[in-house]
Amino acid sequence: MRPTTVLRGGRYNSRAMSFSPENTPPVLEAKQISRLYKSSGRGISDVSLSVAPGEVFGLMGPNGSGKSTLLRVLSTAIAPDSGNFRVGGMDGLKDKQEVRARMGLMVDRPTHYDDLTGRANAYFFARAYGMDEAKAEGALAELFDYFDLAEYADDRVKTYSYGMGKKLALIEAMAHGPEVLLLDEPSLGLDYTSQLAYQHRIRDLAGSGVAVLLASNQVDEVESLCDKAAFLHRGKVVAEGTPEDLISRVEGVRRIVATLRNPVEYGPLAEVGGVQRVVPEGRDLIFHCEERAGIVADVVAGIVRSGGDIVNLSVERPNLEDVFVKLTGEALRDEV
Amino acid sequence: MRFDLPDAYWKKDVALFFSRRFALILKMLYPMAIIVPVAVSGMPAKYAAAVIGIVAVMAGTFGAGESLTIDLNDGILVRVALTPLSPYRIVFEVIAVNAILDLVQLLPALLIVYLLHPVSFLWMLAATLAVFATLVTANCIGVFIANFTSSPADVLLYATAILFPLIYLSGFFRNQHPTGILQTLRGFVPFAYTDDALKTVFGLSTARTPLEILLYPTIICAVLAFAVCLTAPRLLSQRL
Repeated sequence: MRPTTVLRGGRYNSRAMSFSPENTPPVLEAKQISRLYKSSGRGISDVSLSVAPGEVFGLMGPNGSGKSTLLRVLSTAIAPDSGNFRVGGMDGLKDKQEVRARMGLMVDRPTHYDDLTGRANAYFFARAYGMDEAKAEGALAELFDYFDLAEYADDRVKTYSYGMGKKLALIEAMAHGPEVLLLDEPSLGLDYTSQLAYQHRIRDLAGSGVAVLLASNQVDEVESLCDKAAFLHRGKVVAEGTPEDLISRVEGVRRIVATLRNPVEYGPLAEVGGVQRVVPEGRDLIFHCEERAGIVADVVAGIVRSGGDIVNLSVERPNLEDVFVKLTGEALRDEV
Repeated sequence: MRFDLPDAYWKKDVALFFSRRFALILKMLYPMAIIVPVAVSGMPAKYAAAVIGIVAVMAGTFGAGESLTIDLNDGILVRVALTPLSPYRIVFEVIAVNAILDLVQLLPALLIVYLLHPVSFLWMLAATLAVFATLVTANCIGVFIANFTSSPADVLLYATAILFPLIYLSGFFRNQHPTGILQTLRGFVPFAYTDDALKTVFGLSTARTPLEILLYPTIICAVLAFAVCLTAPRLLSQRL
């Protein structure tokens, strides 16, 4: 896998890229898109957004917030109840074939023809997008190599792991050189090196003018990768801006991340004064707290009272998850 | 032409057909296992023709309907539909390639029938084309059913409901000498031409000429396939 240029703990060095999204007309523009499912009454309502060439736009929101529904509409899989969108100047409702040709798509649950090889699957999609034989073979060879799948390219997809299937879906989305990439939870299930490779590739593509709209709940990924982000909550956009702008809206909040040796009953920890929320994440407990003197000591004392054995403790600056909590009163992920 | 790297929907289906070796052996053997004993048994021509006709009808209907609903459930068909490929072309290729692959499965058994019951080349051609028309019709029915369900089990149920009256009209078992409206309706069912052609192969004379059997089912199938292709946008849309 190729080395990446990610800056640890921060954003990519986008200044090194050649394409600047500022002052460029959007290549993807959605206006007041609404789509409600009759069965549940859920969906999206009056969602507007625009993504410029070279821009990476992150959609965040908890499960059921409408991220996948929005991507389904924008990918032309389902029609909106109202609203419209344009891709590269083409009407997304009327010029579906042209819009599809301009997009690369990775759906939330990628599927393939399991009895065909990975290469055959990717080649079929590349040709379906109109690539000629030589270009398709060249692009796929490069991408299979890039994503460390070359060794498995001629294996049947049914032998692939979940992560390999995701990488194959990424290859299928990128191979034909789309103007717009729509990616639903692209890095979920990828190993660490594959995540870095995928992120590096996305920045490269953005650098060459590709607009990327990705739905993700990986806070680190959106903060490091996206030029802009929007939060969806119950089908509506509740905030939009650059990650830095969004995070700057959270003042007086601290995250305390405690790694525990043993699981504890963490419900009572939410009662500690100044603790707004406790979210478990693997062996970690993440505390969203008011910024006040003594809060760290109080949290540690609470953990100890609950029988927790702390292996590691860190106090971090707020991130996009804290912004979402502040905006909606709900967490992006499971909470108490 | 490369099938290891398919560049079209139908080539993908051909590649899949040949990639499942055990299933391929079964698919090739089961028509032989049913049809060859019938051909050598000396059973009455009308029943021998009916058995082969029913095998063709079942192979076509359940093949396309089930594989389509499986692909719909899996999400892969919707993903393919989100490429710039025309949905009408995809559905046309589904019908055409499935019918041809079904014919490939039936052809060895049919050749044995022709060997055991020699008829003129024209009648062989007419009978083979009539069987192909039956396969196209059956695949159209399977594709049509897939518009209304994403459950392979439901395909069996709905197919039975559609096929029973058509099989009755075709005269495989009952309605062998129809009159009035039944006779008119029989003329619109491609299965009926297969029945007549196969009866001729097995030595029973019918009122049909080879030209009628070559022409009428072809026209009916073309209209039917065209109509089913019109359902493509609905068929390939995401089921929610």
